[in-house]
Amino acid sequence: MGRKIIDIPLGSQHISLLEPIKFRFACENEKIVDVSSDVGFVHRGIEKACTTKFAYDAVPYVVARICGLCAITHSLAYTTAAESLLEGVVTRRAKYLRMLLVELDRIHSHMLCLSHTAENAGFEAMFMRIMGDRESVMDIQERITGNRVQFDYVSIGGVNRDITTDIEKEIRKTLAFIREKTHGYLEEFTTNWSLSLKFKGVGVLTLDEAYRYNAIGPLARAAGLATDVRSETDYLPYNEIGYEMRVGEGGDIYSRNIVRLFEILNSITMCENILGGLPEGEIQTKMKGKPTGEALVRLEAPRGELMYYIRGEGKAMLSRVRIKTPTFASIPAFIEVFKGSEYADAPAILASFDPCMSCTAK
Amino acid sequence: MWYSVKKAFTNLLSPPQTIDYPATPIKRVERYRGLIEYGEEHCIYCLKCEKACPPGAILFTHTDTPTENPKNKKSLAYDYNPHLCIYCGECVRACPKPNEALWQSEKKPGIGVKEDRVNERWFEVEGRKGS
Amino acid sequence: MKKIETTLESVVSDLTAFYDYKVWEFLTLNGVAIDEGTTEIQWIFSRYGAIDDVVIYYAPVKNSETVPSVVDLIPSAIISQREIVDMFGITVENSEKGLYLDEDSLSAPLATCRI
Ligand code: SF4
Ligand code: SF4
Repeated sequence: MGRKIIDIPLGSQHISLLEPIKFRFACENEKIVDVSSDVGFVHRGIEKACTTKFAYDAVPYVVARICGLCAITHSLAYTTAAESLLEGVVTRRAKYLRMLLVELDRIHSHMLCLSHTAENAGFEAMFMRIMGDRESVMDIQERITGNRVQFDYVSIGGVNRDITTDIEKEIRKTLAFIREKTHGYLEEFTTNWSLSLKFKGVGVLTLDEAYRYNAIGPLARAAGLATDVRSETDYLPYNEIGYEMRVGEGGDIYSRNIVRLFEILNSITMCENILGGLPEGEIQTKMKGKPTGEALVRLEAPRGELMYYIRGEGKAMLSRVRIKTPTFASIPAFIEVFKGSEYADAPAILASFDPCMSCTAK
Repeated sequence: MWYSVKKAFTNLLSPPQTIDYPATPIKRVERYRGLIEYGEEHCIYCLKCEKACPPGAILFTHTDTPTENPKNKKSLAYDYNPHLCIYCGECVRACPKPNEALWQSEKKPGIGVKEDRVNERWFEVEGRKGS
Repeated sequence: MKKIETTLESVVSDLTAFYDYKVWEFLTLNGVAIDEGTTEIQWIFSRYGAIDDVVIYYAPVKNSETVPSVVDLIPSAIISQREIVDMFGITVENSEKGLYLDEDSLSAPLATCRI
């Protein structure tokens, strides 16, 4: 008998999916031999809106709405680009507060991903526990910014609110709580077979493939590719607050989980260092003028590198806003991981990528 | 492994993560970003708030029954759409008289229902602005 | 940020000479509408481990021209090639339409001539 290939779709609606994405797996027996993907279900034309409907100083609020989880990274990447066109300088205090929010965002985004990994392994209760603990991070974000999801915290020139000693105390308390919890998760993720150890060797992205397919973020670091925009840019002083790159090995689901867990711990340390070394000063600088020229800014979002390219021609509206989101850029790598895996592992592999479709389709 | 087993048992005895919603109210955070409020008598009609607002939730349109405010030379009336507002606070930061003419409260908007003609009313305001 | 001009004929050979997959990360393909009927296509790279070392190769493209595909060299470029096809209505070798837009949606929303 010849080879028989069967097409099995996953999505656009599927029990294990959170967001609309569609994969079509060509399977030979249980093995996936080929993959095609469709990612454009939630395309909203934001790039177009940014250049035709909103003036450049309103765009930070528009791009923040691309994604609920990394709202702050989107608006921060855009504002950094716009500030470089306006040749303005942001105060150090504002930079520190921006980093604080970005790192808090990373903590809760990674927790979300871990909870889904747990859910996909059949650990419903652990999913709820992690989600419950994650809520405390969102609470402090709400305390700082005034809203738990759409922070609208960063605007051109600085940040919109300052923190008080009360809030600082609360943040420290929550960080200590999350650190303790994360050590607990780490214990579970490194010792429990059915939660995590069984994923060793599943969904592997090798180092060479990571280079070839330009993997980014935790996906790349788990494969041993030492790339992180936090160490490759200098507009945010990450070297002052104790940033450490964590590189994993194996490139499998297990390794991605562990990389994320250690990144949470590192982010907690960074947040504490930010609070400890918060410089005095203003949080807003006035910036005048109209953006002229082109700028390209990269920023490490929880899922990997986010890139903004903007071009202005001295008018209130920009002539081009290009947004390259992390999940979008990783899709070729995702497909590579799927090839050769078992079909039954597909939902778990997909969850371990932590895909964000709203970002992808923008 | 044992850690997970231990956790599973302690979980049985721990309180739930959720709250008993209507019985226990949701706690509102201090400095929550809520509705924008306007004090007409202090406004100088500079229209900076209207210009700053990203979604266009504040509009000043011409009216035949202007207020007594001497600064209101062009007979304008303030309109605010709480359902369009994203509560970013840009208008308050742009206002030359924050806390007097314009400020951000901690109130939540009411539910927009059809009977209140939320959309139609706002489209009329936008229509006046456009013409 | 360093910008290097290239042309459609020479882009594949330029990139072949330039791109070492262990040194450069391919960020994305970008398009910028310049004027009626012309789009600037950019191939953006950044060096692993260096501080802000970004290199952009760019070439102006007329809407009637076909952009060569670089997928053989950079496999991950396929997704952004398909995006450019949708957004600017230009043709790129081996890249089909329909990543974001459907048959019945507005075509080429980011090309200037359609505003
Ligand atoms: S808070 Fe923001 S959206 Fe609301 S009226 Fe003010 S500027 Fe407009
Ligand atoms: S910015 Fe303040 S003073 Fe000026 S029009 Fe608006 S509310 Fe009135």
